[in-house]
Amino acid sequence: MNTSINIRDLAVGTRIVLENGAEAEIVDNPRDGVWLFARYLSSPDDAALVGIEEMIFAQDVAETRSPG
Amino acid sequence: MAMNATQGYRPGLVDLNTGQISREIFVNDDIYAQEQERVFARSWLFVGHESQIPNPGDFFVSRMGEESVILCRDRAGAVHVFLNSCRHRGMKVCRYDDGNTAVFTCPYHGWSYGTDGQLVGVPYFREAYHSELDKSRWGLVEVAQLCVYKGTVWANWDPAAPPFHEYLGGFARFLDLILDGWDGREGQAELLGGVQKWLIPCNWKFPAENFSGDSYHNISHRSVDLVGVGPSGKSRRDYGELNVARKLHVAIPDRGHQTITYLLPKDHPQQPAYQNAPEIAEYFRHCEEERRKRPGENARLIGAPGEIFPNLALLPRQPRTLAVWHPKSAHQTEVWRFFFVDRDAPQAVKNFLRDYYIRYSGPAGMTEQDDMENWNYAHAASRGVIARRYPYTYEMGLGHAVEDYEFEGFRMPGRVVDLTRAQASEEPMRNLYGRWAQFMEAESWDELMTWRRNAPREAVAAK
Repeated sequence: MNTSINIRDLAVGTRIVLENGAEAEIVDNPRDGVWLFARYLSSPDDAALVGIEEMIFAQDVAETRSPG
Repeated sequence: MAMNATQGYRPGLVDLNTGQISREIFVNDDIYAQEQERVFARSWLFVGHESQIPNPGDFFVSRMGEESVILCRDRAGAVHVFLNSCRHRGMKVCRYDDGNTAVFTCPYHGWSYGTDGQLVGVPYFREAYHSELDKSRWGLVEVAQLCVYKGTVWANWDPAAPPFHEYLGGFARFLDLILDGWDGREGQAELLGGVQKWLIPCNWKFPAENFSGDSYHNISHRSVDLVGVGPSGKSRRDYGELNVARKLHVAIPDRGHQTITYLLPKDHPQQPAYQNAPEIAEYFRHCEEERRKRPGENARLIGAPGEIFPNLALLPRQPRTLAVWHPKSAHQTEVWRFFFVDRDAPQAVKNFLRDYYIRYSGPAGMTEQDDMENWNYAHAASRGVIARRYPYTYEMGLGHAVEDYEFEGFRMPGRVVDLTRAQASEEPMRNLYGRWAQFMEAESWDELMTWRRNAPREAVAAK
C-alpha cells in the first residue's frame, strides 16, 4: 500500500496504477481524500472493467503517472 | 422522576382547566427523552430554505430534534433530507456546515454516498465483501416525508403524519407573511447571509412559548425601546399600525400553532416607516402600495411573533426572520436564526435591513439578549427540588377566547383573543402546551388528527 500519495491533489486526467496492477484515468476528484472517480484503461484481473468508470479507494492507489 | 410515557401529562402536568403547568415539563430529563420520540420524531420540522441549495450538489447541514440531517440537492435537481449518519458505524458523513459535493464520504471506514443518498462507494467491496453486500439496502436514511413550501423545506420522520399543508391548517397565511414578497408576490424570500447559531442554557419550550405570542413580557424590553433600535430610530419597530389595527392572539387549537397578528381596517392608510432612510422608506411605501392591489385578504394582516408547533418561531416583519429552537438536552437549546429579504430588493435595502436585523435579533441582538436572560434564569431557577413542586400559572384570559372572530368582513381562523384592550392573554401558551400534551399522550397520528375525526360530525351538523 502506498501511503505517500495524497489523492486530494490528483488532477482530472492523471493516470493511476492500482495495487492489483490495473491502470485507470481520473475523471473526477471529490477531494474528500478517500475516493476518486476513474475509468479503467487496463485490468489484468478482470478485462471486463476496461472502459468502465468506477470509484477508486485511496488505499488502492499504488502510483501515479502523468496525464496523457 | 420517572414518568409513564402514556399517562399523566394531562391533567397531572398540563392542566388546561386551571391553567397550571408543572415545571417538570421543562426540567425533567425523562420527559425530555420522551419528547424526542413523541414530538420531534412525529412533527413536521423546518430544515432550511431552497435559496441555501440553489445548485446540484449543494448541501446544508441542519438538525431535526437532536439529530443532524443533510439538506441537499442531488445531481438531477431533486431536494432530499438525510440522516447525517453512516449506515456502517454511524459516523457523520458530512461535518461541514454547507458546501457543494459529489459524494458524502464517511471518514471512519470510507463508505461513500451520492447526493441522492445511494451507497456508491464501499472500500474493498470485491475483496472483503466478495461483492455480496446489497448496496441498495444501505443508502442514507431519508426522511419519510418532505415538503417545499414557498422555498422553505420541511421534513417529517413519520410516514403516518398528515401532509404538511394539512399539518399547517389555517396557519399558512401567517407563514406567508414571511415567505411572500413585501409587495405581495408569492414566495419572494431569500436567506440574507448565513444562519446565526448559538447555545442557550434553557429548555427549548421557553423560547417556543415566548414566540407563541407573549406580549406580556414587553416590559423586559423597555431598555431597548428607550435606546431606540428600531428602523426609524425609535422603539424597536415601526408599528404605526398599532394605532389603527386590532391586535389579536390567534391560536389554531387542533394544530398547536399560534401567533400575534395585527388586523387592519378596510382601506386603512399606510403608516410611516423607515423615516431616517428616505430611499428605504420609498421602497417600502411602493411595496405596500403594490401589496394592497393584489387579491386576497392578507394585505390587511401585519405579522408579529408566532410559533409553528413544535419549535419554529416566525417574525414576519421587523425583523423578518425564522428561528428554530433545536433541543440539545432538557437544559440546553441550540438556536438557529434565519433572516430573510426579498430576493430582488435593492442592495441598499438588504444592507439596511441586515444592520437592523442583527441589532435586534441573534446572539448580539439587543432584544434577543433580553429574552435570553429571562429564559435562562427562569430555567435555572426552576430546576431545584423545591422549585419543581410549584407549577407555573397560565390562567391569564382563560375562557375569554372566541371562535369565528370577525372584524370588518375579515374572518379569522382558530381561537382569537382581541388584545387591543386586554393587552395580553395566555391563550397561545395554553394552545402550545395543550398540543404538546396531546403529542406526549398519543400513540400514533391517528389520535392526533382530531380534525379528521370531527369532520364527519361537522358535515352532519352543517346539513
